Amino acid sequence: MKFAKSVLVASILGAVGLSAQAQQGPIKIGILSAFSGTYAGIGQQNRWAHEMAAREINAAGGILGRKIELVFEDEEANPAVATQKAEKLYQVDKVEFITGIVSSGSSLAVSQVAERNKKFASTSVSYADSITGDRCSPNFFRASARAYMQSAALASWLSKARPNASVFFSGPDYEMGRSSVAAIKAATTALGAKAVGEAFTPTGAQDYSTYFGQIRAAKPNVIYMAQSGNDAVRMLTQLNEFGLSKGVTFIGSAGAITGQNIGAAGKSAEGFVTGVGYSPELDNPENKKFVAAFRAAYKADPDVFGADAYGVLYLYKAAVEKAGSVDTDRVRTALKDLKWSTPQGVKTMRGGDHQAMQEMYAVQIQNGQFKVIGRVAPEDAVGPDMCTRF
Amino acid sequence: MIEYLQFILAPQVVNGLSLGMAVVLMALGLTIIFGLLDVINMSHGEFYAAGAFASVSLLAIGVPFWLMLLLVPLILLPIGFLMEVALIQRVYHHKDRHILTLLLTFGVATVLEDVYKLIWGPNPIRPEAPIGGAIEFLGLILPNYRLFLMAFGGLLIVGVMWLIYKTSFGAIVRAAAFDRDMSASLGISVKRVYALTFSFGVAIAGLSGALLAPIYSAFPTMGKDFILLAFTVVIVGGLGSIKGAVIAGLLLTQVQAISSLYIPPVWTEPLVFTVMVLVLMFKPAGLFGGLKNG
Amino acid sequence: MVSAEKRAIRIVEISLLVASILLFIFAEITGDTFYSRLATEALIFGGLALSVDLLLGLVGLLSLGQAFYFGFGAYLSAVMLKQVAPSFWLTMLVVLVTSALLGWVTSYIALRSRGVYFALITFGLAQVAAKVVYNTRALGASDGMIGVPILQIDFLFFRLDSSDPGQFFLLVFAVIALMYGVLRYITHTPMGAIWHGIRSNENRLAYVGFKSKGPKQVAFVIAAVIAAVSGALYPMLRGFVSPELLFFSVSGNAVVTAVLGGVGSLVGPLLGSVLLTFFKSVIGTWTVHHHIIIGTAFVIVVIFAPRGILGALSKRLASGSDRKGE
Repeated sequence: MKFAKSVLVASILGAVGLSAQAQQGPIKIGILSAFSGTYAGIGQQNRWAHEMAAREINAAGGILGRKIELVFEDEEANPAVATQKAEKLYQVDKVEFITGIVSSGSSLAVSQVAERNKKFASTSVSYADSITGDRCSPNFFRASARAYMQSAALASWLSKARPNASVFFSGPDYEMGRSSVAAIKAATTALGAKAVGEAFTPTGAQDYSTYFGQIRAAKPNVIYMAQSGNDAVRMLTQLNEFGLSKGVTFIGSAGAITGQNIGAAGKSAEGFVTGVGYSPELDNPENKKFVAAFRAAYKADPDVFGADAYGVLYLYKAAVEKAGSVDTDRVRTALKDLKWSTPQGVKTMRGGDHQAMQEMYAVQIQNGQFKVIGRVAPEDAVGPDMCTRF
Repeated sequence: MIEYLQFILAPQVVNGLSLGMAVVLMALGLTIIFGLLDVINMSHGEFYAAGAFASVSLLAIGVPFWLMLLLVPLILLPIGFLMEVALIQRVYHHKDRHILTLLLTFGVATVLEDVYKLIWGPNPIRPEAPIGGAIEFLGLILPNYRLFLMAFGGLLIVGVMWLIYKTSFGAIVRAAAFDRDMSASLGISVKRVYALTFSFGVAIAGLSGALLAPIYSAFPTMGKDFILLAFTVVIVGGLGSIKGAVIAGLLLTQVQAISSLYIPPVWTEPLVFTVMVLVLMFKPAGLFGGLKNG
Repeated sequence: MVSAEKRAIRIVEISLLVASILLFIFAEITGDTFYSRLATEALIFGGLALSVDLLLGLVGLLSLGQAFYFGFGAYLSAVMLKQVAPSFWLTMLVVLVTSALLGWVTSYIALRSRGVYFALITFGLAQVAAKVVYNTRALGASDGMIGVPILQIDFLFFRLDSSDPGQFFLLVFAVIALMYGVLRYITHTPMGAIWHGIRSNENRLAYVGFKSKGPKQVAFVIAAVIAAVSGALYPMLRGFVSPELLFFSVSGNAVVTAVLGGVGSLVGPLLGSVLLTFFKSVIGTWTVHHHIIIGTAFVIVVIFAPRGILGALSKRLASGSDRKGE
């Protein structure tokens, strides 16, 4: 009988787990990411970066003398699966800390599981503002940029590079898309740009030519896109197909053009500017070292997801070392306003909402490379603390 | 008013046409398979995807575009044949045939989607269109590749209709659909006809995928892109009716394109679905009946 | 029903009952959370599969959109618990009544057609509903709603805590078992016989003087209620709801578990759900391509063993008893 077997297995695992909690055992960290489905490319970057960071940390003696052991589970970018797997990681695998979550919905759901298990969870991918805003959690941390910060970087660059921009805004027709567009619209118009139109496109839409009449009539010289993945590829290449890209500067959210879809977007992505927290071209010693090691190990460039994932493990290390233990409450106190070193320079973990503060960049695609063309300082980019729970 | 016609309405009609060609090609295969084999092929979308992925790989190894268009359906024919003979035929004589074939093809679709992910990875891949640029005509922008799509698609559709209605092969297919036992007693290998028809149906779907890949890209979940629309077209046009598939296909894509001007585009799919439900409720045979009726 | 089938069903029923009791004891002793909750989830989705089997196995209608009612129940439950009152009984009552209404109303759309058309309509209905929920900010839109409170459920003499894995598992088991029992009972009534008639040959039924429209509608409404009640239990277990609960994969999965377990046996879907949930959890740790494995198994079952596990079991029992008779 299935249950009898699982009883036996669980007892054994439980016993093993208990003994592993002895002082000299490894610190287990759960990497709950999207390893299948649309976001599998992000999951791959996560896996590589976490493995590399763990290797480096272990080679240097581990955390408080204990080695890191990673346990991987697939959340399938589905909150229902993420909660189940998170529980397994905390209960059966006895991890101290879960990270790598991709989907915003999953991040929110797992934050509850983390609270109930009195452990931590973090994301280095999800950028919904609510995660460290109105739905913040004392046990959840975000080591990467949130949507607000991405908009700030982009708006700042736009106001300097295209002072009299007339902007057409477009985004995917759901909550995330609409709030992204609202945020960037507010940020850019506050700095002098003119909004000449907006359109929301259904996710998974194949044909964007439906909106081209509108766009032509509005005569923008800047088009903003919050679409991502396949949708962004289609929209961009179709705009190009119809000759509507001439003379237009394309800007977009961080998810619009990434390492995963730049291949499919091809030439149409040239010149695209996004507000994002990283570029492999960043010129600082920490990043040079990181990129070189990443390339050597995996024959591929790291992207923003890889860099942020790498940073998370170092954040945890710094916090545990400062706290002197893995105890949840002590580590939480240690994390408050903690500064740590990452490929993006020094990040600060803001205590008020558990949001990382970091330098943000305006990055432009030039010859298929992500070149940094603008910067915003951490304090200016991060935005107000909207978390009222703690 | 003229400006409205020129900048808003006319482009929508044209865009609806290029999408319509693609959907009609998908629906053609689906309706032939249903009209003849009485099989609802839930994996049809995955063959559409297979064509797109095949085109990506062929182009990647240097096969010229036009040759690729010929090779893709040729590659899919034996695969479809195999699936029909090895899987579908096995449940064909069962009492619950309809449900079993539906479930079976659904299972195959699940497997195929994962296989694509395994082989080509999860990220989108987009081959370059062989014809670039656009012409401007009366203020309308018409990308050349889309013009090609409309022309080629139209030719294909005419070709299929000619095949079904004007050749002896087509006559056999229609006979077998009309009366299976009588055809068998006349010496037609009904089993082989079924297998060939199924392969033909999915091959056209694959060709549609190859044609659309340069503008819609290829990615593992693409099989679901058009499946609801294709089924709607097939039902509205009449299961098994080629004429119906063509007319309903063009009509429904126009409905979708033009309605997106007046209602938020997110709701155009539910609108099309509502059309399907209404047709099912009040005229279940669709606009033109079945293959048996022409 | 053939006696071998009856024995097979009885065996599986008893096995599930015993296994559940053992799990409860195990959970209370070791304080386990994960396996109990996983089993609870398996039962919740088993309830959904039960609703699929009612329509498919008993009446002969393949619904590809039961996730619609499941998700409806889940969201309604979440909203009730968060915004009205954290009361189990009130929520279940409201879900029961509204889902019956919903099922009744949608039956007029869905039951106009049969066979593959019915499947397509139910598919489309669920797709539209999923889209609506995905875009509705008041329901949390694409991120869903978190923060469903923990419940204290009052019975006359004792109280259950929804955050206690063992206790909640037992409660869910009781609810699912109750629905199962009701369905089992109905199959022995005239309504059940008419359903069987519809499944076998609906046209012939008319010749014998029975109308099929009413009974089909009853089945449809009951299936909607079962799916919704199962769905209502989900946010109590996991503390959140999200639009993914209405996606086609949930409906499709329910069909797969029903077929694998044994269509028409009613207990087959429950067994199938339990097996598949645990299987996916284990396999998912080893490989991300579990769809290929499960899809292939499904295709094999559809071709070679269309009556699923229960069918295979009853065949075995039948051949066994043949030998005994000699």
